[in-house]
Amino acid sequence: MKSLMNSQLGMFEETVLDFASKELVDNRQDNDRFPFGPLFEEVLRKARAVGFFSVTLPEELEGCDMGTTELCVLLENLCRSDASLAAVIFTDTMAKEIVYRARGFLQLKELLPKVSEYDGTLLACQALVDATQAIGLSAKPERAADTFSLSGKADYVVLGGIARNAVLAARTGGEEYSFFLVDLAGDGITKSEPVRSLGLHACPAVDISMESARGALVGTEGEGAAYLERVAGRMNAAAAAMSVGVMKGSFEEAVSYARERQQGGREIVNWSEVRRMLARMAVKVKAADMVVTEACRTAEDNLPSWELGAKTAALFAGEASVELTTDGIQVLGGNGYMEDYGQEKRFRDAAQIRCLMGLAPMRELYLMGKVLEGEPLY
Amino acid sequence: MFSNNGDSSLLEREPKFRDITCSLRSVNKLPGAVLKETEQLVATARRFNDEVVRPQALELDRMKHEDPDYLPWDLVEEANRWGFYSMFIPKLFGGHGMNMPGLSYVLEEIGSGCTAISNLIGVHYLGVATLCGSWNTRLMNKIMRETAEGEKTGKPCLISLAITEPGAGTDTEEVDLVARAKVTCHAEKVPGGYRLNGRKIFISNGHLSTWHMTIAYADLENPAETTVMLAVKTGMDGFSFGRQEHKMGQKGCPASELIFEDCFVPDELICFDAAQAARYSRSMTQITAQLLDYVLSASRAGVGAFGTGVARGAYEEALRFAQETEIGGKLLINHEWAQCLLAEMYKNVALARLSYIETNYANGMYGLFKLLHYKPLFYYMKYLPQSIIDKYLEPLMNLDVTTWFFRKLYFDWQKDEEYQRTSGWASMSKFSGTDAGVKNSQLALELMGGAGVRTDQMAEKHLRDSKLLQIYEGTNQLNRLNVFKCLIGRSAPQARLFED
Repeated sequence: MKSLMNSQLGMFEETVLDFASKELVDNRQDNDRFPFGPLFEEVLRKARAVGFFSVTLPEELEGCDMGTTELCVLLENLCRSDASLAAVIFTDTMAKEIVYRARGFLQLKELLPKVSEYDGTLLACQALVDATQAIGLSAKPERAADTFSLSGKADYVVLGGIARNAVLAARTGGEEYSFFLVDLAGDGITKSEPVRSLGLHACPAVDISMESARGALVGTEGEGAAYLERVAGRMNAAAAAMSVGVMKGSFEEAVSYARERQQGGREIVNWSEVRRMLARMAVKVKAADMVVTEACRTAEDNLPSWELGAKTAALFAGEASVELTTDGIQVLGGNGYMEDYGQEKRFRDAAQIRCLMGLAPMRELYLMGKVLEGEPLY
Repeated sequence: MFSNNGDSSLLEREPKFRDITCSLRSVNKLPGAVLKETEQLVATARRFNDEVVRPQALELDRMKHEDPDYLPWDLVEEANRWGFYSMFIPKLFGGHGMNMPGLSYVLEEIGSGCTAISNLIGVHYLGVATLCGSWNTRLMNKIMRETAEGEKTGKPCLISLAITEPGAGTDTEEVDLVARAKVTCHAEKVPGGYRLNGRKIFISNGHLSTWHMTIAYADLENPAETTVMLAVKTGMDGFSFGRQEHKMGQKGCPASELIFEDCFVPDELICFDAAQAARYSRSMTQITAQLLDYVLSASRAGVGAFGTGVARGAYEEALRFAQETEIGGKLLINHEWAQCLLAEMYKNVALARLSYIETNYANGMYGLFKLLHYKPLFYYMKYLPQSIIDKYLEPLMNLDVTTWFFRKLYFDWQKDEEYQRTSGWASMSKFSGTDAGVKNSQLALELMGGAGVRTDQMAEKHLRDSKLLQIYEGTNQLNRLNVFKCLIGRSAPQARLFED
């Protein structure tokens, strides 16, 4: 992202890196023990205090009015140290963006500035599920305007166990779906224990069952897919930036280890097979970084079809990060497989980040569909 | 027209005909009962999966995540009750004497349910193979009969291999590298035995094992020529367990630290050292390399089977998910791309399996268990009553001349081409199988998306479990170099190894 840096963005990046080094690095292993250890609530409070939640929203909504580039800088640099906080911010941002882009300014205004604790401001959503997958909730209108009764199951609601409110998709009849803002402390809602998962342990999810629970319609009925599409460009760029951040962390750790560790009487960085593995990692991380930078640049300039570029960036960086972090462990050998070096966590987190925004093969098919419809790819 | 008369040199060209026809040449020589035995073994492993592995795999993973110091004694005792720890120990040494290639099939089956549990069984045979590779028949008889006795008494007696050190992982598995390594595990010769000092790390099943086949060095400055293999028993003075590693996966199988502080190991527990090697024609370094090759040629086929197993487990979870999940208005299994992806995964499993099968054919002809596959001996041992074996044959194992004979056969009379074939195939099986394991686990997640990262869907556990396989038993990089050394470099006079 270097080529996009100006003094303001540079200062922001330093703030993020400073926060990550002070608040995330030392306790990375302990924080990752959730649910068998405590949630890093103090970190969440501090992250809110420095304004990392709601960064893309306007100031009236507790936000910083930042764009796609700033969001990417924030998430990427957090992910270099620990991707869980970035995943919390990603989920919250995605939920809020859906409401905001559905002309839900007033809904958010009513919700956000009232609360003093971080859990009140956070919004949960199904960040790993896309519209092509079956939606388990159905909604029936109630008497009050824009209020619906929701029943069914919503699986893997990220932050569902800690956020007060969630943005959930439900069908109101036909094939189309709508988004609803749901108070998770309301009646008719049962949450599971935290769902154990591959990575991002400190960004937990729950399964939610609903029996006539109340939900406030977001935007217009049946327009869920359109709202998701409105946020897709920005959130795909954000997901790509997270993958790049994890890749940078893994690459840097691998290089540092290879310079120190000796086998066969010399530092392993001086064995050409190890050096070539590092070189292939370097190619992947640099290429992914350039792709995300380009996605941000086109987003800032609002160039035609910039969203398509952001989607390719997420697919490319997601795949590359899974490959890179696999080698990131391999360079460290047995040590890479142990929790002490952080490489195994990056391997797990990268694979989970790749699932953000839905099933990768379906996203690929959707992307190609757009290209075939005539949307310019480059 | 169809003849190779007078031109046998054609068959000596690379790839050498003998290297690529292990299965073809084995089939007629193999005792027919091997097939029947293997059927029984696979059926037993599948029943074990149904009754023990699948119901417990996720809970074992969870318990170890919650309490990193937890030790799965219940599972080890259950596997012991099923006879898995004596199943492949020859009847001569008190075991059930099932054919050794059958172990790989069993490890694949159990690995498809849980790699950690497959390791709880398979790694014991790494210890067994190390003990057998030394051909110290007196110690083989003593230790393996304790394992067999442990099955009868219900007290498992597992055997581990302790080789990796904090500063030397890859180095310890390759004689050319260990010569330059920073090893620290010191076996100092003292009257009546050795005094052992140092630490071993990442020892699979360490905390659960009774015996530890420990590799140490009499001269830390010259480890390649002074390797000592000692049998250390849990509870001996000066030997203790350190921490268990906090691993990403295979959580159910502990990776232990072993600590030796002035641990005296008497001469009768020395499997192999330079003094014992002096009776044979090759140098100490060469014999050490042969010994390691015999062990690794057997154990790497086993790791290939672990990889095949986890690749299959990931495939099976992906297939189940595709059959029950609707995406875009139709079942995932009816999307053409998903069908091709599942076919790719199926192929990865099938080819990984073929590579460990071919390795075991090579081992059966030239490797650790070549005698056991000799038809007359196979049937003799299979049908001779155990009481007769114990009364008349067992005492022979305690004679020096028996050790001498087996070492002559295995060390002095082994041809270079034989170890190249077994070792080369074993390395190919190791990295093919384990790469397939990681690849299929990643493909399963690709197909399952967000559902795949949930622990209760198993696929993510397969991914975590699979990654270790590319690292232990020699990293896949070292195994590639071994293929180069055994099967490629020999025909390239310019080739030099480890001289980057």
